[in-house]
Amino acid sequence: MFLHNFKYSLKILIRNKALLFWTFLFPLVLGLFFKMAFSNIEKQETFKVIDIAIIDNDAFRNDLVYKEVFKDLGNKNSNNYMFNIKYLNELDARKLLSEKKISAYIDFNKEDLVVNQSGVNETIVLNVINKINTNKKIINDLIQENNYLEINNLLTSDIKLEDESSNNLSYTMIEYYTLIAMSALYGALISMTIINYKLPKIKPSGYLVSVSPIKKSIMIIGDLLASLLIQLLGIGILLIFLVLVIKVDFGSNTLKVLELSFVSSIAGLSFGLFIGSCLNTNENAKTGILIAITMIFCFLSGMMGITMKYVIDKNARFLNLINPANMITDGFYSLYYYNTLDRFNFNILSLLIFSLILIVLSILSLRRKYDSI
Amino acid sequence: MTVFKTFLKIVNKYKGTIILYTMMLLVFGVTNLNTKETTSFIETKPDVVIIDEDNSKLSNNLVNYMKKNTDLRSIKESDIDDALFFRDVVYVIYIPKNYQEKRLNQEDISLKIKSTNTYEGALSEEILKRYLESEKVYTKNYNNINTIISKINSSLQSSVNVKTVSKIDTKEQSRISRYFNFASYSIMAVVIYIICLVLTSFKEKNVNKRIIISSTNYQEHNKLLLYSSFVYVFLIWLLYSLLGVIIFKNEILNLKGIIYLGNTLIFSFVALTIALFISSVINNKNAISGIVNVFALGQAFLCGAFIPTEYLPDTVLKIAHILPSYYYINSNDILSKMEVVNLINLKPVIFNSIILLGISILFIILNNVVSRKKQIVG
Repeated sequence: MFLHNFKYSLKILIRNKALLFWTFLFPLVLGLFFKMAFSNIEKQETFKVIDIAIIDNDAFRNDLVYKEVFKDLGNKNSNNYMFNIKYLNELDARKLLSEKKISAYIDFNKEDLVVNQSGVNETIVLNVINKINTNKKIINDLIQENNYLEINNLLTSDIKLEDESSNNLSYTMIEYYTLIAMSALYGALISMTIINYKLPKIKPSGYLVSVSPIKKSIMIIGDLLASLLIQLLGIGILLIFLVLVIKVDFGSNTLKVLELSFVSSIAGLSFGLFIGSCLNTNENAKTGILIAITMIFCFLSGMMGITMKYVIDKNARFLNLINPANMITDGFYSLYYYNTLDRFNFNILSLLIFSLILIVLSILSLRRKYDSI
Repeated sequence: MTVFKTFLKIVNKYKGTIILYTMMLLVFGVTNLNTKETTSFIETKPDVVIIDEDNSKLSNNLVNYMKKNTDLRSIKESDIDDALFFRDVVYVIYIPKNYQEKRLNQEDISLKIKSTNTYEGALSEEILKRYLESEKVYTKNYNNINTIISKINSSLQSSVNVKTVSKIDTKEQSRISRYFNFASYSIMAVVIYIICLVLTSFKEKNVNKRIIISSTNYQEHNKLLLYSSFVYVFLIWLLYSLLGVIIFKNEILNLKGIIYLGNTLIFSFVALTIALFISSVINNKNAISGIVNVFALGQAFLCGAFIPTEYLPDTVLKIAHILPSYYYINSNDILSKMEVVNLINLKPVIFNSIILLGISILFIILNNVVSRKKQIVG
């Protein structure tokens, strides 16, 4: 009887095209959109050569320091290459600036830096000029002290800094993690659909099931296993797609990635079981509520802008502690970014507790209904 | 009037969807950018954290210098890694114990740092290096800490004048274009989804039978449905335009603002023709939901409604050329950067509008072809 129920549950799920679209295809399409839209966004953060102009007047030509430093900064073969420099008269420089072909021009005669607007490029140019001026002042001081050796040191030695940053700093990864969270929670549609077939108020087949001699627990287990099979298939396809096509980085611990995916699937199914069994309303309303709650969960975990996850984590941590989408996203994030597993284990435990509570509530709700008959 | 009333009744049934997409527009299209920027130059100050374990005169001087040149943030040490990942801060400097003592004794000492390795991270490092170079020289040449600090600070003073030539407040303008760019998603979704659902409701077997046996001419009925759709789209345009006027007030009540609204009206019309085409091809309500989501989200991601076009890869933008949202968003972006509104500057906007109208004509023709084929089949 268990196998019979399991087989028919699978058939019901596989034949539901809308369900398969939302749980299988939609996350893939969304992942593809993410990839197309976000692939360049982090490149914008990295440094690019800045187009500037220098007014070619006596003040510049006669200043050896400015001349040599900008020659070096504008030399494509130099390690310090950061500016694409044009040497122009003021009229031409102003024209290029108004056409936004350069970020700034420098007039050393008036000690002016002329820019179009505030921005990082403009601030970098300002900082470079300030740095040159600082060095000029230092050199003047050293000349006064007759310390020529130190001048040479200043120009040749570099300041050493110990960089302890992580290599895994790609924040767009969070978007893909939220996609898995969404997919796992959309899996709730699977278990809800199958539970609806067992509820007399929702589907006529519910009457048949209610009066049948089969043990309800065996029936529910069969339903859930069929749902889990479909859900794992969906999540598996999504993971393969993300790794092979989108090239999402999950860190180095593959087993833990699979563990989290499995637990996330269970959390999604228990969520659907809960909505399906505990809400006393029609199928469309249940679907609407489920999708709305899922989207709110995903929104808070950073799907529509990763800053949201950080803002909630920082200011309303409790909200994200009870948010299953955040538990999933945060679990993948901790695997990717942190070397320790404490945070990951906390998320796994949270998901298991979340699932257990919902399953217990669902069983109580289903038992109550059938006992009263 | 009966058809129009029924049309509105069904629209009313789906008002939750309209409210949802409008709320999304208000949340994501309005609140994303800050407004403190003006036309005068403001240095970009990267967000930096300093963990000062020395707390000496020299380390305090470094902290004060960084405070002047960056946005110095106070974040718990345990939260720093998260803050770096989410770009809440871009650079972290750890000043070790006995920093001053070791510096004065000429001992080799290096600072530990953490960086996002981004543009702003590099800027923070340059700012820090400027200080450290000065500090290195003066700690070598002087013994008195007060003299050293005074020499360092004097060498770091800036004498450059920064002048800004742009006359328009680009931030305020980009706020307006961001609102209308995001509106392209809301309009696309609300117009296509609702019109498709409403028209499909009219095509339901039992309803359709009733319509056929009624005294109203079939062509007359279709015409009324078309007029109702026009009115609905006009009301949606009016709603989003009014919201824009309420949010941006005087900034939008000018010639440029009127062009933004005109551009949006043309785009809404394109959305309507697409909706009519989809509704004549598909009659399944479940399928409509999927198609609308993929179509509207696809346009929003690929054309710059969610992410500004300057951040999108060139190949994506090339693909986007086949989508109407691209031309609408492109016009909004051009308007946001336009300093003087005249016919020459408006040429690309007019060109985009012509393409949008061309796309809508294409969909009207396609719609007619499909409808005629269906009639023949029927």
